[in-house]
Amino acid sequence: MVVNSLAFLWFFLIVLAIYYICQTKKELQNVFLLASSYWFYSQVDLKMTGLLVILTLIFWLLGKGVFYFLEKEDEHHAAILTNVGVVIGIGALFYFKYLNFFADSIVSFASLLGIHLSWTTLNLVVPIGLSFFTFKLMSYVLDIYNGKIQEERNIISFANFIAFFPTILSGPIDRPKPFLKQVNQVRSFVADNFMLGFRRILWGMFLKMCIADRLDIYISAIWNNYEHHSAVSIIFASLLYPFQMYADFAGYSEMAIGVALILGFKVAENFKRPFFVIDIAGYWSRWHMSLTSWLTDYVFLPLNIKFRKSGVKGTIAAIMLNMAFIGMWHGANWTFFLFGIYHGLWYIPLMINGQFFKKRKIELNAKGWPTCPYVLKMIGIYLVVTFGLMLFHSANMTEFFNVWGSIFSHWNGGLFTDMSTMVNAAICSVALIYVDIQEEWRPNKKLYLPTWAEKWRWELTVALEIVCILMFGVFDNNQFIYFQF
Amino acid sequence: MKKLALPIIIVACLFFVMDRIFGVGLKYLYSISNATDEYKISYSNETTRDSLLFIGSSRCLHHYVPSIFEKELGVTCFNAADWGIKNIYYHYGQLGNILSRYTPKEIVFEVHPCDFLDTPYSGIERAGSLAPYCGMSDACDEMLKISGNYWKYQISWVYRYTGSLPNLLTGKLGSMDRSLKGWKPLDGVLDTTGLVAEEYPFPIKQEKINLLERFIKDCKERNIKLSIIVSPMYICSKDDVYKIPRDIATKYEIPFINHYRDSTFIGHPELFYDFGHLNRKGAILYSEMISKELKR
Repeated sequence: MVVNSLAFLWFFLIVLAIYYICQTKKELQNVFLLASSYWFYSQVDLKMTGLLVILTLIFWLLGKGVFYFLEKEDEHHAAILTNVGVVIGIGALFYFKYLNFFADSIVSFASLLGIHLSWTTLNLVVPIGLSFFTFKLMSYVLDIYNGKIQEERNIISFANFIAFFPTILSGPIDRPKPFLKQVNQVRSFVADNFMLGFRRILWGMFLKMCIADRLDIYISAIWNNYEHHSAVSIIFASLLYPFQMYADFAGYSEMAIGVALILGFKVAENFKRPFFVIDIAGYWSRWHMSLTSWLTDYVFLPLNIKFRKSGVKGTIAAIMLNMAFIGMWHGANWTFFLFGIYHGLWYIPLMINGQFFKKRKIELNAKGWPTCPYVLKMIGIYLVVTFGLMLFHSANMTEFFNVWGSIFSHWNGGLFTDMSTMVNAAICSVALIYVDIQEEWRPNKKLYLPTWAEKWRWELTVALEIVCILMFGVFDNNQFIYFQF
Repeated sequence: MKKLALPIIIVACLFFVMDRIFGVGLKYLYSISNATDEYKISYSNETTRDSLLFIGSSRCLHHYVPSIFEKELGVTCFNAADWGIKNIYYHYGQLGNILSRYTPKEIVFEVHPCDFLDTPYSGIERAGSLAPYCGMSDACDEMLKISGNYWKYQISWVYRYTGSLPNLLTGKLGSMDRSLKGWKPLDGVLDTTGLVAEEYPFPIKQEKINLLERFIKDCKERNIKLSIIVSPMYICSKDDVYKIPRDIATKYEIPFINHYRDSTFIGHPELFYDFGHLNRKGAILYSEMISKELKR
């Protein structure tokens, strides 16, 4: 069930109606929310619903255990149980996502050394959303151990945190503390939440259907047949890809956040205009923020503390490991690993210059716009990201090198044009760029409306957004890129 | 809830008004477009009143020269075919729209395997081209209902033209020459290297066959002289690809004109643009032949 489908709309409307009928009884509302979430997940991945339930139960019990030992000031046993939780979480990820990859890689490497090992590739299906909900499970146990939260006594509340249907498939990856606080409160219908949430859903649909899916038609036409396309076309498609990724994933995140908001939850933000930055650290602080902040808290900071004695070298080692994790989180493929390492390398100059821990601001001119050198830096970062995403997009390293081979050898042809697709995407992309520029540098300036229309701003915007989606959207229910992770 | 009711009602009203205003604008742009798809679909569905119509997909679009038929038969003629592997779902809805306006005297239907086989590349989605004419005829609406989009098109006029704004804005600059009355000539000569016959290893699609039969019945009910026709290919399948439409034509006692393996054309690359489409020279030669056959 895709979030921007009619099936989801019906599901959500029914859930919403019953959910707020139950609003006077918090427990009933939570039970219904959990049932809805499990039903939703079962529609997407029936076979793995059992795994989700079992892991939820295990981590809930582990949380209880860790908290019990901490209360008894038995740090040792609490640490053991926390480690058990981490091992189970990583183990689940490893088994479903990485086992075949590592086994195949070891067999290939051994054969290079003349050692013949045998491994039958297991027919494993990765549970949808695994990378998202295992991170939530692990953070729960780790946060209890670190004293950030207490155990969640109510298993229904905890299960809702893990299986919350707007975010289970592709995030944002919520943290236990803010979510559990909200799930344990009475959530009544708030019209303002509905209005804001609905707008965010529509904006997400616009990003996904009018920009990402439209660009996908052009980019796929080139990437899937790069052997037959000119260098100019491949480079142009590659330059569009970061924008497609942004529209696709930010679109999903907007929809998830909007749906959650209508249900009375404020979940984590995931994107904050990621291309308006002047270094790679800025980019990762605004791109898939819920993942990067998770890894910063649970991987980078502990590693950095561990390597503290080594100074800058230690920080570099911590960031390289962290970025390698970010890369591999996306999937079991050397392209993802190198994607992470590639981004990690761009951090090194920042650390050597001592700029890593400083938040670098973009210099603005008298009119409040970025100055020319900063605009050039932003373009530079976009190009850096583009190269990285070419790795990300490639099915394997052979494809990556072949694409570059085509770029270097196909200089004769012109640009492949698909005017209708390009113009449709361009019109909508201009709207996104305009909105992002406004939010970044003119946050308080609203689009002008005559006085008589001002009081209908929400209504006008919503109606216009619906018409735009109908006019420019692609309606074949394309999957979201991040569903595969 | 009460606080929300009014904004939702206002949104619904604003959406309705905006949708209709934009929808009317898009419909106008659609009707004046000279781009192949838009012109062919709009003119054949809502404008033509010619006596002889050619209906079919791209092979029909490129192969029948209306001026030759007008001269030979002394009737007005329009080539109402469209490219894009259109199939019987589209053709049947199109026929319904035409019959809702007038009754042509004669229809020549160029049949293609996509009109009776379960081809993976040409299914019910082709009926989507009828979206601008939702509500025009029962047959058209039936096809849109089968495609699952009928109610969406009823609710939103803009949705009928989704994704086509750039085409419509530049439609006036399109390549269709209206004086050719629907024929789109192809200029160029076939490159024969590596050519193999197109095969159709697909099962029969009963729904398509039913529509093909209904197409024939509707024409017979209106006393329209209907011929089913197959034009030449440069290289042919070994199989008897057109057995099904031939049997149907026999069943309903209508002419089945088969030039699929016509030796005048087979193996003559100078008459073809690609393996399945005649070029300008081939189309003129073929139209002269067919016009004489239809006259008989």
